[in-house]
Amino acid sequence: MADEEVIMEVQAVRAVYGDDCTVLNTYPPHLHVHIKPRTANVSSQQFVEAAIEIRANPQYPSDPPDINVIWSKGLDEERLKHLSASLHDKACELTSCLMLVALCEEAVERLSVMNHPHGNCPLCLYPLVTQVEQNESLPFMKLMSCFHCFHSECIIRWWKWLQLQNDSNGENSTGTVQSSASKTNQHDIMGNCPVCRKVFHDKDIEHAIKLAGSCSMQKDLAEEEACESASLLQWDLETSRQQKFETILQLQKESGGLIEARKDGVLFSGIVLPELVTDSRTIEQQGKDQAAVEDPESSGSSNRAHKTKQHQRFRQGPTEREPHGSSGGPPPSQRRNAGTGKYYRKTSRPRTQQWIKKEKP
Amino acid sequence: MTSSSAPSRKALSKIAQNRLQKELVEWQVNPPVGFKHKVTDNIQRWVIEVNGAPGTLYANETYQLQVDFPEHYPMEAPQVIFLPPAPLHPHIYSNGHICLDILYDSWSPAMTVSSICISILSMLSSSTTKQRPADNDRYVKNCKNGRSPKETRWWFHDDKV
Repeated sequence: MADEEVIMEVQAVRAVYGDDCTVLNTYPPHLHVHIKPRTANVSSQQFVEAAIEIRANPQYPSDPPDINVIWSKGLDEERLKHLSASLHDKACELTSCLMLVALCEEAVERLSVMNHPHGNCPLCLYPLVTQVEQNESLPFMKLMSCFHCFHSECIIRWWKWLQLQNDSNGENSTGTVQSSASKTNQHDIMGNCPVCRKVFHDKDIEHAIKLAGSCSMQKDLAEEEACESASLLQWDLETSRQQKFETILQLQKESGGLIEARKDGVLFSGIVLPELVTDSRTIEQQGKDQAAVEDPESSGSSNRAHKTKQHQRFRQGPTEREPHGSSGGPPPSQRRNAGTGKYYRKTSRPRTQQWIKKEKP
Repeated sequence: MTSSSAPSRKALSKIAQNRLQKELVEWQVNPPVGFKHKVTDNIQRWVIEVNGAPGTLYANETYQLQVDFPEHYPMEAPQVIFLPPAPLHPHIYSNGHICLDILYDSWSPAMTVSSICISILSMLSSSTTKQRPADNDRYVKNCKNGRSPKETRWWFHDDKV
């Protein structure tokens, strides 16, 4: 009877973890489970992973099973110890309960909490993540194959250096980079991880390179240093957040009315309005806006004409007057407005930088 | 900075400077066992004292390593040689050049002066005979004009020592 329950539990683990679960023996249970932190399936956000072995004896569940971490990536010794200890504690705590799924979930939970890179960037030797001020740390990335982490800037600088060596050598003689094609064809370029020499492909660092896209490969390294101080690259997470905000902003623009002018602003001449509107637009649009502001004022048109002009201006941009008028209560719209303003400020920084970057080459 | 000296003597880039500062601090806190950095005011050239490991052929012997950093360190490997007299070793030439792959083709920017030192000490320690490489005379003659070992095309065939 008890045996059947255990066998069913093993089937449950198999159902939950699918291919990540290897059942070596159904009874008494002996499993290998590949554990990843919860990252909503965004693999670039995954900095650690591990495989655990759960091995029970025939007395399970009155005897807790043995649990071992078979291998792990991205975890330093301290976190590895913590993982093992947590799993052991959990097993003791759940003694005489069916605990296989609970143990795997505990491992997922631990890894999710510890899902961050550790220590210094192996290239510049400065910390990847600073404890004090998260915002001040440089953007970093990891190689997908081995989970070794670097500052994006540092790994790209090295990557470019390899290309440069490769190009200047003509024939492939560096030994660290193998490129069968010309420099324009980047698709079969490989490198070795500076830490473990595991081969990785350019798609591994593609996402970081895209961010640095406009800094050309052939650019003089000294020159590059100057522009690097502006720290052009964004941390993956920041990028994804920006994308999210951008989508929200777009959605708001389309549905209209969420980015509204303040009510009191409408009553006054309109000087208040453009500021708000500008705040939520791109730089190019700023010019148009200002032109629009000057226009009604200089023409000295009647109040009615003035209003129409304003109306047109709203249509250009993300704002619509009608919903505002009908909505009546200012608090929700104002709250939303403040919200989008804040969102925008986050996205505005990289945009400006991209804009500057394009000017350079 | 303004002088147009030989490429190998180019001043360190900003990135190289930062990295070396960091390595120097780390060295001071946690120097590799058996090594002593001889402090100078030149961060671009380190002179490091090596003590042969106890229980090896080089026990109680002291040698000096000279490490010169290129402009784009750590992208480029540093130039590492023994100052005379160089230890008698099947991979160390009498002019101080060291035949060790990580100093040339197998250099990786994740390596540090400290890790190089450990590799060199390990190379010394695993030696079973005190002798020069077979092609020592020919090689040294070819290097007459102060040529850097980094310009040599090395063959790395022996992974025992």
